[in-house]
Amino acid sequence: MESAVATTNALTLAQVAASGILLGGVYALLAGGLNLIFGVMRVINLAHGELLMLGAYAALGLFVLWGVPPLLALALIMPLLFGLGLLLQRLLVSRVVRQPPLTSLLLMFGVSLLLTGAAQQAFTTNFRSVPYLSGSVDVAGLALSLPRLVAFGVAAVLSAAVHAYLRWSRWGKALRATAQNPDVALMCGIDVDRARLLAFGLGAALAGAAGTLASFIFTIFPEMGGTYMLKGFAVIVLGGLGSFGGAFVGAVLLGLFESFAAYATNAQAAEGVAYVLLFLVLLVKPSGLFGLREG
Amino acid sequence: MTGFSRRRIVASAAAISGVAALALTGCGGAQGGGATGGTASDKTPVRIGASVSATGSNGNIGRYQKEAYELWVEMVNQRGGLLGRPVEMTILDDQTDPTTGAKLYEKLITEDKVDLVLGPYASSVTLSASTVTEKYKYPLLAAGASASDIWKRNYKYVFGVYSVAESYFYGVIDLALKNNLKKIAIVNEDTVFPNATATGTAAYARQKGMQIVFQEKYPQKATDVSSMLTKIKAAVPEVLVGGSYEPDSMLITRQMKDLDVNVKMLAFSVGAANPDFQGSLGAVADHVFGPSMWEPDLKTPGNKEFLDAYKKKWSRDPDYHSATGFAGGQIMEAAVKKANSLDREKLREALSTLETTTVLPGKYKVDDTGTQMGHIPVTIQWQGKEKAIVSPDNMATGKPKLPMPEWKAR
Amino acid sequence: MRWGVTAPVLLALGVLMLATLPLWGTGYVLSLLFLTFMYAAIASSWNLISGYTGYVSFGHAAFFGIGAYTSGILLTKKLAQLSAPWPVAVLVAGVVAALLALVLGYPALRLRGPYFAIAMLGLAEAVRVAVTLAEPLTGGGKGLSLPPALVDVPAYYAMGLLAMVAVALTHVVATSPVGLRLLSIREDEVAAEVVGVRTTVYKLVTFCVSASIAGIAGGLYAWKQSYIDPTTVFAAGLTVRAITMTMFGGQGTVWGPVIGAVVLTYTGEQLWARFPFLHTALFGGMIIVILLFLPGGVIALLQERGWLPRSRRV
Repeated sequence: MESAVATTNALTLAQVAASGILLGGVYALLAGGLNLIFGVMRVINLAHGELLMLGAYAALGLFVLWGVPPLLALALIMPLLFGLGLLLQRLLVSRVVRQPPLTSLLLMFGVSLLLTGAAQQAFTTNFRSVPYLSGSVDVAGLALSLPRLVAFGVAAVLSAAVHAYLRWSRWGKALRATAQNPDVALMCGIDVDRARLLAFGLGAALAGAAGTLASFIFTIFPEMGGTYMLKGFAVIVLGGLGSFGGAFVGAVLLGLFESFAAYATNAQAAEGVAYVLLFLVLLVKPSGLFGLREG
Repeated sequence: MTGFSRRRIVASAAAISGVAALALTGCGGAQGGGATGGTASDKTPVRIGASVSATGSNGNIGRYQKEAYELWVEMVNQRGGLLGRPVEMTILDDQTDPTTGAKLYEKLITEDKVDLVLGPYASSVTLSASTVTEKYKYPLLAAGASASDIWKRNYKYVFGVYSVAESYFYGVIDLALKNNLKKIAIVNEDTVFPNATATGTAAYARQKGMQIVFQEKYPQKATDVSSMLTKIKAAVPEVLVGGSYEPDSMLITRQMKDLDVNVKMLAFSVGAANPDFQGSLGAVADHVFGPSMWEPDLKTPGNKEFLDAYKKKWSRDPDYHSATGFAGGQIMEAAVKKANSLDREKLREALSTLETTTVLPGKYKVDDTGTQMGHIPVTIQWQGKEKAIVSPDNMATGKPKLPMPEWKAR
Repeated sequence: MRWGVTAPVLLALGVLMLATLPLWGTGYVLSLLFLTFMYAAIASSWNLISGYTGYVSFGHAAFFGIGAYTSGILLTKKLAQLSAPWPVAVLVAGVVAALLALVLGYPALRLRGPYFAIAMLGLAEAVRVAVTLAEPLTGGGKGLSLPPALVDVPAYYAMGLLAMVAVALTHVVATSPVGLRLLSIREDEVAAEVVGVRTTVYKLVTFCVSASIAGIAGGLYAWKQSYIDPTTVFAAGLTVRAITMTMFGGQGTVWGPVIGAVVLTYTGEQLWARFPFLHTALFGGMIIVILLFLPGGVIALLQERGWLPRSRRV
């Protein structure tokens, strides 16, 4: 279908760019968690999207039942998902960490199915959303969506916090050491098992945060996890490269790509953008996603 | 023997025998067990089967149709049933999935051996399920679908209950022109019904001299339409028409507010007429137009009785999808009476030539493809917390309020 | 264990029942078995690439879907004069699927295991989007309607034939040096290369063959259903089923996918009738349990118990 645009002027393009950047906020949180888990454990968490989904439903539940606004709910949901992450790691993931990456891949795939099915059963497949914020904010002639602006802000703050934690705190350094070389880290006296638990928990908490933010921007339904997961990988491939901050940049880039692709063609085609992008970049770097030590 | 150890044969034999055993038992445990045989006494119930989305992306609306079917069964049994026999209806859930719908109808027809069927919700599911009913020669009343594609396949057993999707927005377009609005933007979800709506609307708009400044599709289950809305904002339409289902109607409205996209007239094909639209969106729903196949205020035969009975049974107001579902039952009843038989060939004949009234405005009358010709859709607009019927004039309960105020001005 | 005459007799009986099913089964049972054969074929095809070479194909549905659309387009005469009777349409579907595998596989198979998996996941989605966009040809989101014919019976036989071919093919591969080479790729690709196995060629050919089987299955499906749309034929659920069934039965075995298909299609149907969403969760749970406790699937279990020979023939 052709789109007869009256004037493609600078303002419109700026508008598209702004939307794209804001879109990146949620992606960043999701990708950050994914990155962390892969970095520390070389496990590709195919269930990461479902963790986001659970976070979104938690926010929905808290809002609908007790009127808790999503931003406040973050304080509850993040620890909750952190706990879930610990559980998953302790019960399941830890058993396959040292096995070929395929095993963990399939395992997490199974987990994602389990979580999706459970959500379908528990919440029904109806589409829902959290009518929290709405309206636009006028910034220099651009209409920025208020909910997205808020989500972006929160995502940025959270990302910065985690980044600082990884950089300067004791356990943050332990995580990074484990990511670089678990055996050496062990020898240096780092409790590698605990580091892995922490990584998965933190990653899950970030996914939950992303889900909470997504709950009032996007539509919520049990199968929503899948799309986000693929986008998460696209983000890591674009800018993650083992760097937590890089994931943020990559996320914004993906958001921009999608926004402009939807503008240039239509929303349908834009869907395919992330997927093809992911594939192309993977091809260009056949030595692996991060160029780090092979699993 | 090379390659065929006995143990392997045993394993395969076990597997195959297992399958054969399943086949023999006819996969017992199926819902609504087939009570075949027995003497055909005139008290044997008439069994009707249908699948309706109770869950899935359109579960909210599908449930209205399901409730209507069940209400109709109750009411028809109070009247003595069909041809003096009580009616029993089995309603399964297809989750708005076309394949599931087809599978369910096949099950109902071949396994549960129902006598008659009624249609599912959504054109996509109906399109798929009707291939099954056509194969087995079961007349299907499409009580939840309207895309004309359903009747473009030369099928003989599918009958429309309400106006085709293409004509949904004729009322809106006429109103726009009356108010001197010329520039229109059309968007739609990329599935059967919304495509049909958009195509028909575009053709009609062009015919009436409107200028289509923007037309685009968005994917099914879209979660973000902001780029599309940005393009729309740049195109500056006066009217925006969405060929959409309930979830996307709400999504677009919300995102329009978030991006400050203002138009003078906003209309959605599905969802706008539903009571939940205002319930979920609150003030944001005000001034939105939509086509409706039925409204409670209409003075159609049996409408008040239907309304009261529905509210009593289900503790909520019916949506127009309830009415179309109910009408499906009414039409079936009339056809059975006309044919004086449950023979499906005779019913097919009857349905092709029948003319009858239902709770829906207009009357039931199909052309030789089965497309519904006699139904008259109306256009509604949300005015405050109530809906007003604004078109056609002879059924109107209020005047249209134009233009729609800007988001920031509310 | 000695089975003497009983085994071949049981086998013959089973085959006879299946062969004459159209005479005494209801339409629903026929459809159910059609589905069982279909999943057996798809699972077997998935097993060929993923079970034997270890390259987990998460986007298998793409080949099924492209096969469905190819056959659909040919059967509805959408492409000018290009129409064909169903056997041709279905076979061409297989060829097109193989071509797609060639085009995608050539670059994708260079990626190591898990990265290949993710890339395929994305690519399958991209194929779906592409098909949806090619509206004049495919009908886009509206789907494609084929002429409705009650072809349940020939479709049943055709799909049964496909399943048999898939299993036979797997058997041939498994018991030949080819199978050994594929397994070597799974175990240690670098070492295989060093020993002189032309891994790229083997991977690619296996991928294409695997895709063509899935494509033919798709083609038959479209013909029987008379209506397809992108969401259905490219459904992730298809890949999920292929994976779960193969893993349940035993990946890298000949009969594993079949066992998985038979057991899980039946339980799936029963569950789905009563608890529509539980079967996704069940499949997930099954994959987890199998991975952790029974990585070799049912066949490995039977082999351990001595019921089955520990050979690649099974």
